[in-house]
Amino acid sequence: MTELEKRIKAKIPGEDTGIEIKHSLCAICSPAFHCGLDCYVKDGKIIKIEGSPDWPGSKGRVCTKGQSNRDYVYRPDRIQTPLKRVGARGEGKFEPISWDEALTIIAEKLNEVKAKYSAHSVAFYSGHCKWYRPILHRLCYSFGSVNFGTDDSTCFKANDIANKLTFGAGAGPNTPKANTFLGWNYGGYYAKHMSVAGVRALKERGGKVIIIDPRHTPAVKNLADLYLQIKPGTDGALALGMGKIIIDNNWIDADYIEKYVHGYEQYKALVQNYPLDKVCAITGLNADDIYEAARIYATNGPATVNFSGCTQTHHINGMQSTRAIHALIAITGNYDRPGGNVPGGVSYLHKNGGFTTREKEFRESLRPHDQLRIGETRFPIWDEYCDEFHAVDLIRQLEEGTPYPVKAFVGLGLNAKMLPESDRLLKAMADNLDFFVDADLFMTHSAKYADIVLPACSSLERGEMKAYEGGFLAYTSPVIEPQFESRSDVEWLCDLARKLDVDDELLKAGYEACCDWIIQDTGLTVADLKKSDMPVKVPTAKPANKPGTYLAGGCKTRSGKIEIYSEAIAAVDAKYGLNPLPDYQDPLYDQNDPEMVEKYPFNMVAGVRLPHTQHSRLHEAPWLRSLRPDPLCEINVEDAKRLGIQENDPVEISSPSGTIYAKAKVTHKFQPGTLMMIHGYTEANVNNLIVSTHLDPYSGYPGFKSARCTIRKYEEA
Amino acid sequence: MKHVFTFDPDKCCACSACVIGCTDQNDIDLAGGEQCFRKTYDVEIPLQDGDVYYAYLSTACMHCKDAPCITACPVGCISKDPDTGFTIYDNTACIGCKSCAMACPFGAPRYRKEDGKMVKCDGCYMRVKNGMKPACVRACSFGAIDCVPEDEYLASGSNKACNALIDQLNLRKKI
Repeated sequence: MTELEKRIKAKIPGEDTGIEIKHSLCAICSPAFHCGLDCYVKDGKIIKIEGSPDWPGSKGRVCTKGQSNRDYVYRPDRIQTPLKRVGARGEGKFEPISWDEALTIIAEKLNEVKAKYSAHSVAFYSGHCKWYRPILHRLCYSFGSVNFGTDDSTCFKANDIANKLTFGAGAGPNTPKANTFLGWNYGGYYAKHMSVAGVRALKERGGKVIIIDPRHTPAVKNLADLYLQIKPGTDGALALGMGKIIIDNNWIDADYIEKYVHGYEQYKALVQNYPLDKVCAITGLNADDIYEAARIYATNGPATVNFSGCTQTHHINGMQSTRAIHALIAITGNYDRPGGNVPGGVSYLHKNGGFTTREKEFRESLRPHDQLRIGETRFPIWDEYCDEFHAVDLIRQLEEGTPYPVKAFVGLGLNAKMLPESDRLLKAMADNLDFFVDADLFMTHSAKYADIVLPACSSLERGEMKAYEGGFLAYTSPVIEPQFESRSDVEWLCDLARKLDVDDELLKAGYEACCDWIIQDTGLTVADLKKSDMPVKVPTAKPANKPGTYLAGGCKTRSGKIEIYSEAIAAVDAKYGLNPLPDYQDPLYDQNDPEMVEKYPFNMVAGVRLPHTQHSRLHEAPWLRSLRPDPLCEINVEDAKRLGIQENDPVEISSPSGTIYAKAKVTHKFQPGTLMMIHGYTEANVNNLIVSTHLDPYSGYPGFKSARCTIRKYEEA
Repeated sequence: MKHVFTFDPDKCCACSACVIGCTDQNDIDLAGGEQCFRKTYDVEIPLQDGDVYYAYLSTACMHCKDAPCITACPVGCISKDPDTGFTIYDNTACIGCKSCAMACPFGAPRYRKEDGKMVKCDGCYMRVKNGMKPACVRACSFGAIDCVPEDEYLASGSNKACNALIDQLNLRKKI
């Protein structure tokens, strides 16, 4: 081999090898990350991916998922052209059509439904991706429908709402200045890889790490000084019990409470119902560990709590449990304090760059007010704090047709597997919709039900605007041409706005014009951003406020204080039965009648993270699938032994709403009585086991992480 | 300059980003059943005292100083790169006898079904010579794997060598 051949084989960038490094971002997982990528490109093809060392935030790091971008982008099942359904809904039979034909059909059908029913009978919905949401949101309102919804209905937003109820603002961990890191359901490594370095640094400077998690994770092994292996969904009881210990020992910050906390006396009375022995019985923990966790959290100087994106809120008691943890922050004076939990704003699309944009105005200013949104009367707290319909109520409104029928559905990356009783939802869509369009990169289980399917492209094939911490804005350039006939979602959405001829000149002017409008106050334009292939420093960006500034100005809650007693909840009609205090309820309170308990003795924790999966989008990525070829249901060794189940045995898992089949993975990592399984497999969709009414009445979130089921070894006939 | 791979088992979580980085670098057909040069392990080890040790490990070729695979190969495919000290190979003459894999205490050389030849981790020696880190190192977000010049490694007290993971497990077994 010549030296040049060796360099080409080793993919060394250079003029001689013809390999160029182009910058982009990974959009596979959460918009909180979107790590920068160095894409090695040769002859118009990506041949290798690495983290981009100078990218703000990620600074060269990418996770297992991001590292697999080449595998993802070149997945063999990419949708190649717009498609028109020719078989039955769900059958997967389509024929190719042109983009113009597809958009013409979509515009005609949506206008038909608008004329026959009303604009509100058309629901606009986004799956996991966030980047095009401002455009989709505005298109929905410009079209005249009140029904814009997203996967926020099951992801992160409940946390955000809980924060707003208690603090009136965000409550992110300020790990760099903390002495104690209370990692409540903190996994770190597999879902939030960039956070691990900060926790490790805290540990190395002598800080304490407490982790509360039903599962023994790498974070427990590598980081925890104290580990509480809690029974799933009992966190609220633990938090109230810890509150009692803190109050009984007078470890509270009385001055802080006096000045900033609303509802302390009621809370103090509430925690009297949670003595240590009772909390031990509920949580399965031992008294010394609970006492020690409370002591360290309250007395070791500044302490920060890490809340995971939605682990806690995926219990039907989740929002109240989250608020019970908030109460610990409040009574120890750890909110808006250095090393505690701190408020933070959003510049653009879930990212805080320390500058303001007009995203909210852009999205919400054209909202119609002449109809109820899907789920509006069922989940009043949700509706007050989130400008979206509630997707978990979609199944009911489709089936019942009340208060009005939903007749058309515009989906971008709709993934029914992310919602309870997924197959029942798809059936309701197939039975009741006059028209259904879905855009996706891949022919998904849900897309097979659509009448028109549009081919989307990945982040590496498009340009998009994105904010980053440290005062940055980026507008990426495509690294490769869009694959096949796929297009950037915002391009066809703006084309559709023109076809529909909505009364919205800005939207019809296209994505870049919209971005320019949104970032008008930053001192930058899209043209400025496009001059750089890296994120650009925003001139108007300011460093975060000094801790204490927010409290001094008054919290953005009804009382102006931190509300352990939520006045917003108290204001909700009593018929909903909501409690302004964060009291505890059993995570299975709706499934605890003796017959259910006997028939379904196990508690399923669905959606436990694997390092190489992101919902369902990577299950069919060939490299990653080969790391775990079969859907696995994890079961504790003792349960497995009792039921005669061995590693890799086929198992049948059932709940009142369905039955799925997987293989067993036997483990010590969690206590008996629990099962754990990753979501998103079409052939073993664990969310079919989650009953669609098993919901948190505060947030509307499904109880994905505590739901009754049973398991047995499956002998094929 | 001679280089050394290091591994810190207290930083690894077996996320397999290193495996995907290696696969991406070396165009390994994982889905077609080929094996990556690097492998991770997420292992539960029940201890005698009833406790369980959860091991998260990542291994590839250890690039032994006195590599037994070199002498085991009957056709002389394997050699030491004089610059980096990594165990590299040219499998043009490989007869697919697997002697190298059998001689290796870690089973690092892989037999590639596609062409019946041996392949293995070459330490990304071409990248290292060009001032870059090996693909697996660049893929690790946690600093569990690194590749450092030998003098730097020696100066650091050598306590994080790949082989330390073996000692680590023995210690944790509390025998």
